[in-house]
Amino acid sequence: MKKYVAFFVAAAFLLGSPLLAVAGEYYGKQKVVYHVNYDDPKQQAAAMRNIQNHINAVGAENLDLRVVMHGAGVSLLKRANDDPDFQSKVINLKAQHVGFKVCNNTLVGKKIDYESDLFDVSKADIVPSGVAELAKLQAEGFVYIKP
Amino acid sequence: MSDRDDKLSEEMLNALVDGDFPPEEQAEMWARLRADDELTDRACEIRTLKDLVSIAHQDVPAPPEFAQVKRRGAAGSLAVAAAVLLFVVGAILGWQLREVPVGAGDRFVVLDPSGRGQAPLQQEHSDETRIVFHITSPDDVRAEELLDEIEGMLVQFQKEGRALRIEVVAHNEGLNLLRSHLSKHKRHIADLAARFPNLTFVACQNTINRIQVEQGVEVTLIPEAIRTESGVAHVVKRQAEGWAYIQG
Repeated sequence: MKKYVAFFVAAAFLLGSPLLAVAGEYYGKQKVVYHVNYDDPKQQAAAMRNIQNHINAVGAENLDLRVVMHGAGVSLLKRANDDPDFQSKVINLKAQHVGFKVCNNTLVGKKIDYESDLFDVSKADIVPSGVAELAKLQAEGFVYIKP
Repeated sequence: MSDRDDKLSEEMLNALVDGDFPPEEQAEMWARLRADDELTDRACEIRTLKDLVSIAHQDVPAPPEFAQVKRRGAAGSLAVAAAVLLFVVGAILGWQLREVPVGAGDRFVVLDPSGRGQAPLQQEHSDETRIVFHITSPDDVRAEELLDEIEGMLVQFQKEGRALRIEVVAHNEGLNLLRSHLSKHKRHIADLAARFPNLTFVACQNTINRIQVEQGVEVTLIPEAIRTESGVAHVVKRQAEGWAYIQG
């Protein structure tokens, strides 16, 4: 039984040792795009939590991270206008160089004025099409994540 | 076919699957089998059953293997690892066998014989944008939004003369989109498919088989839908081919 236990301790050590290395070194540089097209506030808040955990693991300096919002997902930045919890989450992520990109098709289709209806959006944050942006970023080597 | 014939061929099929015949008789039997769809189906069933039975027995020897660890040390650990590996392989095999089509009439259709929606060679269309959408939710509002977005993109690319190829893969509950009795977007899909040959709708055959077994209903698809054996494998393949992936 002793040898049996020793075998697993050794195996666990061998498998686990890379995790002990500095997180940034272990994961290297990453380009990631997060896709948000849903209105559910719980799901949106969870997505922002995921992103923060992702940054914690990889390091903001190693990440080029964008959030692409379109369709119902644009409501995330509407909520950030009214809901202090959403607002602080967005401010914190932006401080760590997360880009929040908004789909122009959605703005036009839903008659949303990004200056008054959405939290802290400038012209540079508007992309012509959310879907096309997701395709373009993936072609540029970004990894797609839908939380 | 009389009872006696039936019984005889059942035994013969079993023996054939077991490899009990001498080579020349075996070759003759396989030839007969190929000529008869019903016989082929039954041979497949027997084979599936045998495999399932053998897989079911694979995890039984595991406890004695654990017991031997004490005596055999490192070799015992290796044996444990091998047993675990064998069990995992068995489980995977079993899982795949579970997906073997049950309704013989509803055969798997080779994906896209006309070449529509197939990934073209990279060097020929290096500037072509290719996107695979993966639909897994039955949400009709989101589906409508998605079809509108896809349409917008197709129109835009066509206007600008840029190459675009889109596949919509429906899987699990997302299959509703392509089921003729359940889809709320039949007209929209028919219209889009007629206007844009670079748009393909793909249904997951595994999902269809599962629904047919679990719910005992015949799944019929809208005419625009083609089938792929596994929706998941299909979107993975597309991503490996360099397509962009978007979850609906």
